[in-house]
Amino acid sequence: MSALDWCFKKSIWVYHVNAGACNGCDIEILDTLTPYYDVERFGIRLVHTPRHADALLVTGPVTRQVRDRLLRLYDATPDPKLVIAVGSCPTGGGIWHNSYATLGGLANVLPVAVYIPGCPPRPEAILYGVAQALGLVQQQVSAQAYAEVT
Amino acid sequence: MLKHTISELKEALVCLEAGRVTLPYPFAPHAPEGEFRGKPVLNTRKCMSCGACGNACPARLISITDEAGVRTLRFELGRCTYCGNCRDACPQEAITLSQQFELSTASTSDLEIRGEFHLQVCRRCGAPIGTLRQVGVIRERLGVVPELQIADSGFLTLCPACRRASFLDNPALAVEVTRERA
Repeated sequence: MSALDWCFKKSIWVYHVNAGACNGCDIEILDTLTPYYDVERFGIRLVHTPRHADALLVTGPVTRQVRDRLLRLYDATPDPKLVIAVGSCPTGGGIWHNSYATLGGLANVLPVAVYIPGCPPRPEAILYGVAQALGLVQQQVSAQAYAEVT
Repeated sequence: MLKHTISELKEALVCLEAGRVTLPYPFAPHAPEGEFRGKPVLNTRKCMSCGACGNACPARLISITDEAGVRTLRFELGRCTYCGNCRDACPQEAITLSQQFELSTASTSDLEIRGEFHLQVCRRCGAPIGTLRQVGVIRERLGVVPELQIADSGFLTLCPACRRASFLDNPALAVEVTRERA
C-alpha cells in the first residue's frame, strides 16, 4: 500500500482553484456540494485553505496572471496531493488553447492526476472523476482509431 | 430563545416534508436529459472526411492531414466544448453527440478519435484532391442531373490546377476564345 492509498483511504478534502475559468465549472463544483448530489457522504469536503487540502480542483485554462499563484497554492498543499482538472479548459486549453493570454491547459504547469472534460462537466461527471482519482471506479473512455479498407 | 427554537422546529418540519432528496448517483446510473450533448461520436461509415466539421469547430480540435495517399481526421476531444457545431455542419450527418458524460481520464490521449481515409490523387500531377468517398459522392450527385451527365467525368480525377491547364490545352476551346477576342 502506497502512502497515497493510505492517506486517501477514508476522506479527501479538496481545495477549489479558479485559474481563469468562466465560472461555469465553479458553479458545477458548488452543485456537487448541495444536498442533491451531497459529496460529503463520501467524506469529500471543500476546505478554505490549500494547507488542509488533499486535492486541488483546478478550473480554467491557466492564465498568465494566475500561474505564479497556482504554483504557490500547489507548493502550499501538503504531500501527497492530487491535482484534478475540472472542465475542458484545464484539460486541453478549451477554446483558448492557442491564446497569448493563457498557458493552454493545466498539464503545461502542474502534474495532473485526472482530467474531467466537459463544458462544464455535469456534477455527476465531477463525482465520477474524483472517484476515479481515488481508484474507486474504472475509466470509461479510450482512444478510438479507424482506418478505411479498400 | 423560544422564537429560535420554534424556527428550528419549523425547519425540521420542512426537511421532513421534503424527504430524501439526495440522488443515489454513484450506486445507480443517472441518465441525462434528452437534449444533453455528450461525447461526439463519428460514424466512420458515413464520414467522407471533407473537413466541414473542422471549419465549424470553435475550439479548432478537428485536424486534417494528408500524407502518403491517406487523409487522417483527428478529434482531440480534450478541449471540446460540446457545442454541436460539427454535428450541424456535417453534410453526411456522420457526427452525433452521445449521452456519455463520464469522460474523466488520466491522459488526454484517451479522448482522441482518429480516422484514416484513402485519398484520390490527381492523375496528372499526383497532388491530393480529396478522399475517394468525396469524389464518389460528387459523382453520384452529378449523375442525377441529366444536363451534367454529358460532362466529362474525367475532370473529377484532376486537381483544380490541372483541370484549368487541361481546359486551356484543349485546342477547340482555344479557338473559341480567340474568336471572341477578335
